[in-house]
Amino acid sequence: MSAEGEQSVKLVSSDNVEILTERKIAERSMLIKNMIEDLGAPGEEPIPIMNVSEAVLRKVLEWCTQHKNDPAPTQDDDADSRKKTTDIEEWDQKFMQVDQEMLFEIILAANYMDIKALLDVGCKTVANMIKGKSPEEIRKTFNIQNDFTPEEEEQIRRENEWAEDR
Amino acid sequence: MVKRVREEDDGLDESHSKRPKPSEADRLSRLSDELTLRVLSYLPVAQLVVCQRLSHKYQALAGDNQLWKQQYYERFVRPRANRLPGVRDEGPTDESIRMASKASRWLGDEHLVKRGIKTNWKRQYKLRHNWTRGSAVVSEIPVAEEASIPPVLVQMHEGVIYMADTDGLRAWSAKGERKMVAQISYELSTAASPPTALAIDPQTNNETSRITVGFDSGAFSVYVLDQARARFHHRYNHAASSNGVISATAISWPYVVTMTATQLLSLYHFDQPLEGQHSNDILAPPRLLHSLKSSTIWPPLSTSLRAAETCITISVAYALPTYLSGWTVGLQEVKVSCVGDLIESRLASAIGQHYRPLAFSVPPLMQHLSPPNATTSTTSTSVELRHIHSKPTSLSYTHPYLLVSHPDNTLTLYLVTSTADSLSISAGSTLWGHTSSVSGAHVGDRGKAVSVSTRGDELRLWELEGGFGSSAAKKRLAGVDLSVRIRPESRPNGTKKSTAVDLGLVNQALSARSTGSCATEQRLDDASELTLTRGWVGFDEENVVVLKEQSQGRQALVVYDFT
Repeated sequence: MSAEGEQSVKLVSSDNVEILTERKIAERSMLIKNMIEDLGAPGEEPIPIMNVSEAVLRKVLEWCTQHKNDPAPTQDDDADSRKKTTDIEEWDQKFMQVDQEMLFEIILAANYMDIKALLDVGCKTVANMIKGKSPEEIRKTFNIQNDFTPEEEEQIRRENEWAEDR
Repeated sequence: MVKRVREEDDGLDESHSKRPKPSEADRLSRLSDELTLRVLSYLPVAQLVVCQRLSHKYQALAGDNQLWKQQYYERFVRPRANRLPGVRDEGPTDESIRMASKASRWLGDEHLVKRGIKTNWKRQYKLRHNWTRGSAVVSEIPVAEEASIPPVLVQMHEGVIYMADTDGLRAWSAKGERKMVAQISYELSTAASPPTALAIDPQTNNETSRITVGFDSGAFSVYVLDQARARFHHRYNHAASSNGVISATAISWPYVVTMTATQLLSLYHFDQPLEGQHSNDILAPPRLLHSLKSSTIWPPLSTSLRAAETCITISVAYALPTYLSGWTVGLQEVKVSCVGDLIESRLASAIGQHYRPLAFSVPPLMQHLSPPNATTSTTSTSVELRHIHSKPTSLSYTHPYLLVSHPDNTLTLYLVTSTADSLSISAGSTLWGHTSSVSGAHVGDRGKAVSVSTRGDELRLWELEGGFGSSAAKKRLAGVDLSVRIRPESRPNGTKKSTAVDLGLVNQALSARSTGSCATEQRLDDASELTLTRGWVGFDEENVVVLKEQSQGRQALVVYDFT
């Protein structure tokens, strides 16, 4: 069994770059894990990761390397059993100190490659970028177009006044 | 496999449609709705409502029903799981108290998650939020220009406020516009005698509710309120009796129970069905199934009636004077078979049968002045003295909670245990919080309680669920977060107008009814020192209603709206 983890697998990014990595690392991705199981003979055939570019794939694999020995995610977990804090462990915080472009690429890649823990870290990072900001600040941060009239926005603000302070 | 395929598709859509855009584009919107919701699920409520102001898209996403359902669960359901001893002890709770689809337990909020019911979770969250913070919009329904003797009787059930005074029976809607639903005058035979007791059948469905009114003369009447047609129907009138004033009544169709001031308890059974007849027909007289005389029961008291297949259980909770040492509470449960045979009668009081205080080591009243000492173990004397209280001003019993209010600024909570073979009442726990005399209290089935001070200027909400048996509960008791004072709020301008309009309508309805001119000088935030409450207070999921009497005798129902 231990030999199996040290096997290497070949991944191919969307821009056709081959990346060699440990099977154990790659299998943090449920997508890859399932593909390897379906293919049966790992290491021989390269695995295409169609929606992820080389730069992003390398970044994702960097995270997987760091977390390769984490306990496997429990099967029962659906969205609600996650801890509701936005605490992120230190290494992940540093890992996520990338430009927004890359941050959202990582989230999309983690979603596509089915790496739940990484997806959570990404979403928490975005949530932390929203926290404590005013609507105008949030719009600025993410370039969100305001399609409300000032009156409409004021109306929504009034309706939600009860929830503002806690 | 299925799931993976779907996610692949999602990924494809995202990358192909959004990736070529320049980096100045709206980056957050590159995420699918599903992923955005995942991000939003990490935000607290206060930030969710900020996100609703971003744009139409985020207004919808941050208002997502599942998101708010989860927030509701995390804030209002999960913490209770730790509080309720029964739930905590049941094995691997970690699984069951998660919201996770099937295993989750909603602990009394099941009615919100029933199949087929569409709950607006954000609205529900707001409602609970306002309850916990005690913030409510206040409005008044004037009910009488002058003080009436005896006082107006009020009951509230499923959003309808029922009121009985010398003029007749009235029903108001506690929701929305607070308009009068229906009214009826008493039959001639009882008209001369003022009403003294009022009860609503808890089995009421949405269409009709059944009401009993007891009178000073010893008579009682049965009415039916047809809500759809907004009409009261008089269905039965029981002749005056020599047994005296009806001091309490309860109805659970086809049974009616009355309690007279001479402490005679009578249980009646109506053989004729209410339904399937002409709605104005007078029913045939009921059979007297059983009657009992009690010599130990003192007012204030509260009766309730539970009808099961084989037997009827009547519970009477009452104040009980003890020798030398003040008042406590007692409870009598009488079980009667369907044909009227007495099956069982049992008594319990908050003081042990053999307890006789010999001397006052501590004057009992001083107990209320000392701070609650919940953590240290107390000596036997003070434990016993803890259940000695001044005469109750009101008493409310909703199994298993028995809540008593006192003129010495406190309330006492007792927990009743009623099983097949025993009936007992726990030692009382004193609840501090009020800063003046408490005139009325009402407790609901989930341990939510409302109490009101004599002056009517202080209304408190209590979360009494689970009682105070456990150490965690004692900690809560020692803390100050047990109750919250209701803070009347004026609505923001737009809605305030409509409140005023509502009140205007009520006023119009009222002036049409009464010949006198209608008082128009009411103010929403009127916290007059001269205002008195007669002690009646009631609540449902959304409102608290208090009957207030002002210095000139003008009476009004004050509605605290938490929506």
